[in-house]
Amino acid sequence: MTNSETMQAEAAEAEAKRQTDKPPDPYAEVRRNATGGKPREASAISLRGVQKHFPGGVVALEHIDLEIEAGEFFTLLGPSGCGKTTLLRILAGLEDATGGAVAVGGQDILRTPAHRRSVNTVFQSYALFPHLNVRDNIGFGLRMRGVDRDECQRRVDETAKFIKISDLIDRDVAQLSGGQKQRVALARALINEPDLLLLDEPLSALDAGLRSQLQVELSQTQQRLGMTFVFVTHDQQEAMVMSDRIAVMNDGRIQQVGPPEDIYERPANLFVARFMGHTNLFPVERTGDGSLDTPLGSLTGCGDCIGSHVLIRPETIELLPPEEAGDNRFRARILDRLYRGAFAEYQLECGDTRIAAIVSNRGQRQYDPGEHVALTVDSSGLVFLDE
Amino acid sequence: MKRANFRRGLRAWWYIVLFFLYAPLAIVVLFSFNSTRTYSTFQGFSLEWYFKLFANETIVSAIYNSLTLAIVSSILATVLGAVLGYGMFRYRHLKLGWLIWFIYLPLVMPDIVYGISQMTFFVQIHEATGLLKPGLLTMIIAHISFQIPFVALLVYSRLLQLDPLLFEATQDLYATPWQRAWYFIIPTLQAALISAFFLSFTLSIDDFVISFFTAGPESTTLPIFIWSAIKKGITPEINAISTLMIGAVFTAAAISYAIQRARLASNPSRK
Repeated sequence: MTNSETMQAEAAEAEAKRQTDKPPDPYAEVRRNATGGKPREASAISLRGVQKHFPGGVVALEHIDLEIEAGEFFTLLGPSGCGKTTLLRILAGLEDATGGAVAVGGQDILRTPAHRRSVNTVFQSYALFPHLNVRDNIGFGLRMRGVDRDECQRRVDETAKFIKISDLIDRDVAQLSGGQKQRVALARALINEPDLLLLDEPLSALDAGLRSQLQVELSQTQQRLGMTFVFVTHDQQEAMVMSDRIAVMNDGRIQQVGPPEDIYERPANLFVARFMGHTNLFPVERTGDGSLDTPLGSLTGCGDCIGSHVLIRPETIELLPPEEAGDNRFRARILDRLYRGAFAEYQLECGDTRIAAIVSNRGQRQYDPGEHVALTVDSSGLVFLDE
Repeated sequence: MKRANFRRGLRAWWYIVLFFLYAPLAIVVLFSFNSTRTYSTFQGFSLEWYFKLFANETIVSAIYNSLTLAIVSSILATVLGAVLGYGMFRYRHLKLGWLIWFIYLPLVMPDIVYGISQMTFFVQIHEATGLLKPGLLTMIIAHISFQIPFVALLVYSRLLQLDPLLFEATQDLYATPWQRAWYFIIPTLQAALISAFFLSFTLSIDDFVISFFTAGPESTTLPIFIWSAIKKGITPEINAISTLMIGAVFTAAAISYAIQRARLASNPSRK
């Protein structure tokens, strides 16, 4: 993994610099602590056939096989009730699996109780201790493991600086805003240098602006530390912005695993496509001459494709003047245009079918509602999928 | 204008209620400082009856018994009730409705029935085994048994207000079950435990009925002493004892209330 190679190179570089007594990187110390001097491979996670059946016949997890690489920002994405939070809680040790195996760094951890796992969690509601101030909240994990007060104090200060909350350190938890609580919860987990950090929708309670700011901060923090993060969210935009890889889940099963581009551009099935926000999904039928029958018309140039549906991503559509006829061009009427600054979003009607198109505003002609166009589909950008 | 009349009426009602609640207490306190034995008039301020009180060995021993009983039973009831309250919280998913109902039953049981049954119980055990001779020990046990439901109720309702994720957060942050109790549960329950202690204290110090049935000859408490002394008529000493008890109960109740309020003030956002 290139990420881990970079991290190793950086660590070696930091080590070399430290020997000359001039630490050039303010985070070198934190980063060294964060890995606990262990090789990166120690935090790779492997799930084999993990199951969770609740009493009463409710199946939360069907059969989960998953490999999460060390130092990866991995996201579990899915609608509520898909089992993503249950899976996270199994990793944390807060829930028992009813079957399967979970290994961190090759060591099976399913029998290890939560308080002995090198795994920490940032909870959705933050779960900061109301009877402790910020400093004691952050230092809680170290205290429980018997780290002495001076060392604890030093590392709390260091972590607070790293997360940029040094000025909040003596406050009461009740005085913090949502974003500040989120940072304190993150610091409280990171300071323990876990093999694995779990984040359960940590940004869902924040307003949009702060949310996108913290998305960037979180993924930068993860890259600097090279720690393995497993992030749970139901927001596909958030997942795409932050993750190295995403697992899309539904009904207790994993639907697709891959980098954000794969998930978005080549969804494995209709569920993933719909969940990623795609609306241009049309049933296809094969005809005798090798072309495909769709509600738009006949598509050519994709004879060897299999699947009951076709996905036409809105950004692969080109809008041309109506007189330019040709293959894979369909006459359509503009219903609506939304100006989005860098691009325009069109709603079109083609026969009885509605279709969305996204067109860059750079040097492209704008069409008004009511106008007719030739909707042009690029056959190489089509995705064929099944239920 | 009707509104104003209504408000004036409410205010008058409020004063009438306060008068009937506190005037009798005020009279007892006032006459405890009277310089003569008469009840008809207040003749002048004196501490005579208080000095007499503390010169009387029976009364001093009754005060000592009352305080020992109240403090020991309250401490034990706080510990045991807290454990019970935590258990009710920890295993609330088991739907222990009827069990919890049993725990609350002593709250509404008539004291006289409770006292007589406790007495019968202790006497039977004593006759069978020679243990539990009626005295301070049986009184402590009886008091703990009626204090526990109050403590458990306070602790349980405090725990229900907490975010359940906090318990998981302690596990996630490496706390063993004992560390979780010591560094999270006890500090979080601190205010509830202190107010539970003072509530138990006030319940114990003014209890007459249950104490009366479970006491032995050596373990006369203040209420029992007052009851036997009163057969000879109400003396200014009784007023002085009553004033001391009013003072003790008021102090304990005020501390308990102040702690509850301080907690609410420091945590206004809790549902």
